[in-house]
Amino acid sequence: MATDTPAVSHAEAVMGTVVSFSVVPGSQPAQSAARAIGSACAALHRADRVFSTWDPQSPVSRLRRGAATLGELPAEVAQVLDLCEEARRASGGWFDPWSIPGGVDPTGLVKGWAVEQALDILRAAGMAAAMVNGGGDIAVFGAPEPGQSWRIGIRHPWRADALAAVIEVTTAVATSGSYERGLHLVNPFTGQPSSQAASATVTGPSLAFADAFATALAVGGDAVLAVLAGLDGYEGYLIRPDGGEADTGGIAFG
Amino acid sequence: MKRAPLFVLAGTAAGLVGMLSFHTRPLTGTALASPASQTASGSHGQSPGTGQTGATARKSRSAGSASVPAGPAGMRSAVGATEQYGYGQLAVKVSVRGNRITDVTVPVIQVAEQYSQQLASQAIPMLRSEVLSTQTARINGVSGATYTSEAYAASLQAALDKLHVK
Repeated sequence: MATDTPAVSHAEAVMGTVVSFSVVPGSQPAQSAARAIGSACAALHRADRVFSTWDPQSPVSRLRRGAATLGELPAEVAQVLDLCEEARRASGGWFDPWSIPGGVDPTGLVKGWAVEQALDILRAAGMAAAMVNGGGDIAVFGAPEPGQSWRIGIRHPWRADALAAVIEVTTAVATSGSYERGLHLVNPFTGQPSSQAASATVTGPSLAFADAFATALAVGGDAVLAVLAGLDGYEGYLIRPDGGEADTGGIAFG
Repeated sequence: MKRAPLFVLAGTAAGLVGMLSFHTRPLTGTALASPASQTASGSHGQSPGTGQTGATARKSRSAGSASVPAGPAGMRSAVGATEQYGYGQLAVKVSVRGNRITDVTVPVIQVAEQYSQQLASQAIPMLRSEVLSTQTARINGVSGATYTSEAYAASLQAALDKLHVK
């Protein structure tokens, strides 16, 4: 392993947050790693431009107010909305971008989806392993060091400087909660702001779905944990508003 | 957990601001963080059953490598000032070997009421395990609710990035 290129890190401000990269190039030269990270960042910025709900001229903003039809927009908009529909059904309706006031809003899934695209670019570029952390939603592949798995701390909901748990992740983990940006989640069944969790974490093969399910778990709490227990490949870890903890049993706590 | 890597220590240094100042003044601790975080910690870690199918209550975690015997060579400890924390008074004792915290205990507790006593007895073990676990956890990243680009600077992930980005 003496010839392996040392790991490369990068932090990119995009999508209203900061996306952190940790890339293990393996036998690839450092320039390839830098180029791959550059391409991955370009994909994130493109997703930001297409899906931003802050920019009134973005394709998604135009779709939301009825100023454009799906057919007139970049193909990834329809692709992401298909994933949203799949996540809506799988979550028993607890994740529902169509229930959000002001028109369909895929924000709860799109960051996970974009981070997954970024990770795929690193994988396709031949990197040995990588972690992409989109402001707290993480996708990984490979091993950070030979024989090791990616160890991810779950932020303590009441202390920014402490961890509530450490878990081992082989694919993706997303966490939702209202401690960073206030009570921004809406219960699709009532239309009212809702939070049944201090912290809601979901692991699984796809970060797009993990992101959506974490949003659902934060909105629905124990009811959604029961839904997740029935979904293949996805696991949930819930910290309730009173600090009680529960999980679906399949998460590798470190 | 043989050795706490540097990045974890950095995260801890940030994490302990407002709580312990052992880093800069090894023989005088300071006090706990805000009362709010203590009451929150007090209820944290209780694991009632969920009553939901398929969901199991988490087992409570151990306090990590807390059982380091007192007094071996290279060990230092410090007791912080007694502080008001909303429900009474307490002080924190920190034991350090080299750059690493080996134990956190609370040797002075005066609580106002019976209720507070209960609360304190829950809060303190969690505080201890959290400090130890943050320090000893060898982690690659931190998952949490999405921070804004402004809040990123204060996040543990930023502390990890700072140590790795050349």
